[in-house]
Amino acid sequence: MELTANITLAALLQQVLVGLSRTTILFIVASGLSLVLGVLRIPNVAHGSLYMTGAFVTYSVATLFGQSALGFWLALIVAPLVVALLSFLVERAVFCHLYEREHMMLLLFTFAFSLVIGDLVKLVWGSDYRSLVAPVFLQGSFSISGFPFPRYNLFLLVIGPLVAAGLWFLTNKTKIGKIARAAAVDREMVGAIGINVSWVFAAVFVIGCYLAGLGGALVAPTQNITQGMDHAIIIEAFLIVIIGGLGNIWGALLGALIFGLTDSIGILLWPQFAIVFPYVAVVTVLLFRPKGLLKSTW
Amino acid sequence: MKKHSVFSICLLLMVMVCLLVVVPVSHAGKTLKIGIVDCYSGPASTYTNDVRDAFNMEAEKINAAGGILGRQVEVLTRDSKFKVDIGLSAAKELIYRENVDILMGTINSALALAISDMCKKEKVPFFATFSKSAKITGEKGHRYVFSITENTALAGKAAAVGLAKKPYMKYWIAGDDYEYGHAIADGVWNNLKTLKPGVELLGQSWWKVGEPDFTPYITAILSAKPDAVIVATGGRDCVPFLKAAKATGFNERVPFFMHTATELSTLKPLGLDAPEGVIGTSNYFFYYPETPANQDFVKNFENAYQRKPAVGAVYGLLTARYIFGAFEKAGAIDTEKFIDNVEGMTVDSPIGKVTMRAFDHQAMLPMYMGVTRKKAGYDFLVADEIMTIPGDAVMPSIEEIKKARKQ
Repeated sequence: MELTANITLAALLQQVLVGLSRTTILFIVASGLSLVLGVLRIPNVAHGSLYMTGAFVTYSVATLFGQSALGFWLALIVAPLVVALLSFLVERAVFCHLYEREHMMLLLFTFAFSLVIGDLVKLVWGSDYRSLVAPVFLQGSFSISGFPFPRYNLFLLVIGPLVAAGLWFLTNKTKIGKIARAAAVDREMVGAIGINVSWVFAAVFVIGCYLAGLGGALVAPTQNITQGMDHAIIIEAFLIVIIGGLGNIWGALLGALIFGLTDSIGILLWPQFAIVFPYVAVVTVLLFRPKGLLKSTW
Repeated sequence: MKKHSVFSICLLLMVMVCLLVVVPVSHAGKTLKIGIVDCYSGPASTYTNDVRDAFNMEAEKINAAGGILGRQVEVLTRDSKFKVDIGLSAAKELIYRENVDILMGTINSALALAISDMCKKEKVPFFATFSKSAKITGEKGHRYVFSITENTALAGKAAAVGLAKKPYMKYWIAGDDYEYGHAIADGVWNNLKTLKPGVELLGQSWWKVGEPDFTPYITAILSAKPDAVIVATGGRDCVPFLKAAKATGFNERVPFFMHTATELSTLKPLGLDAPEGVIGTSNYFFYYPETPANQDFVKNFENAYQRKPAVGAVYGLLTARYIFGAFEKAGAIDTEKFIDNVEGMTVDSPIGKVTMRAFDHQAMLPMYMGVTRKKAGYDFLVADEIMTIPGDAVMPSIEEIKKARKQ
């Protein structure tokens, strides 16, 4: 009803920065989902569960080192790798036999897979709330013209572009990236010139899931590590992938920016009904560009 | 080899069948059956396990002393998985098949109201142990339902009584956009306006349950510069909210109230990473009140379960004392006599004497308002500067209950 009056430029700037750090997490998770969707054509509902697993493993590894700074950095490296390993095993054991199935089957299968992971997490870590402490120099906040900005969010702002650059390098400059892009367009042709498509798919799947694990690891110090965090992220990630253009990584970046920024600015402008802003943005995008903002690989 | 395994499977099956036949026979003597339906899977079990464990502790004590009126107490537990349909069919099973004498449980308010409705028809006493809806003993109250926990109306009033004593005038309200959040926010705000007419509401923010990032909400609230903030969030959102509050220095800039902020299940996972100075309300702390009764209870609970009791343990203990005490006093296993005896009954507990108000069947629990502080000897924050708001000060008046029930 009442809009917040007297919004200063500094407050707006701060809100944009906070929104951008949320964008980082959304982009990392959504780009992994988009990669798998674009190349393998699998709508991986279990992507959110892998994100949750990443957060829990981060917690365990860091706690093993008494939640010290060393433990945190180690966990940031180890947790996504554990998730990648898990996804590699699952891909080789199950997914690789399912690529030719129709999407409905794949959707149901990955959904079942997400329930299995959810219960496994419950078995291993239990249902208590878990919390992880960021290294001391990333704790607290510093002031931007009188407004606080958490140090950890600044760290996320640094990580985001690094991951984006890494992905750009991987898809454009490496051989596997080029093959993967080709396989996304025509997998039979790639197979016909003598490339083992099955292993290319495995590699792409593992990279996609690694990103889910990385997202979970990065979000761990800012959140309550608990069951249910998988459902929250997967819906947002799918929305971002859809408005960005299915399977397009840069679409995921654009989608994450739209989602993250409308969310944080909406909160400043109209805090009572802020929940709807990102979804209104999604609807608006889809009204004008039903196939997403950038070119879909589908 | 194959033959051998078939034989062993047959043998195993036979043993299992024998067990099934034997087990019921060993239960031949008549028992006093208590059914518990609650959520024991998922995040809610952080709260509900304590209720069950403290209740069992009391039941074992009673059984060791010979039971109630010569009957052993038998506790039957069912998992509702936080779902109304699963919980309701478990309650039905307990009533019709197991013929339980008493039903208790549920942290899920919707389920508590559904079971309460069924118990009214079946004339089975039901003790709501953790659901925070004020409707249970308010609008939807009846002869067969009791509440052993504070609810949104009580917590709201307690918070208002405490906040009215502080100098804040300009408030902001923020919370979970669902029934609990709005109910608690309305409870605090309506009472606060009555107690201190000059207070002003600058604005409100509402987020979805399970909100992943509270930072943008907090920064937006700070830019409005309120004197104090009422945070109406509960359950699993408390932990990430407090984390974001610490990271942004929210607690150092603006004082804020959050109902369950001082509770053990919220502060323990955060360790020393929780923000200091947050105002919270709770029915119980294992370190407060510092009375021999509480210290004994904590010791016994720790010996039995290797952890400190949280607020749920007091709800479990109170439920047990009302049930066993009332049957003992009634002198017979008779539902109507039992209810007459619970009404107005006073029992001892780690938080002192607690009376069950006869009119609305609401336990009159004192509320402790405190602020979070680091304290030597604890590896997590505890409540400090505790102000006790007595049970009768936070209870809604009987006129208000009558109005809600349209009597």
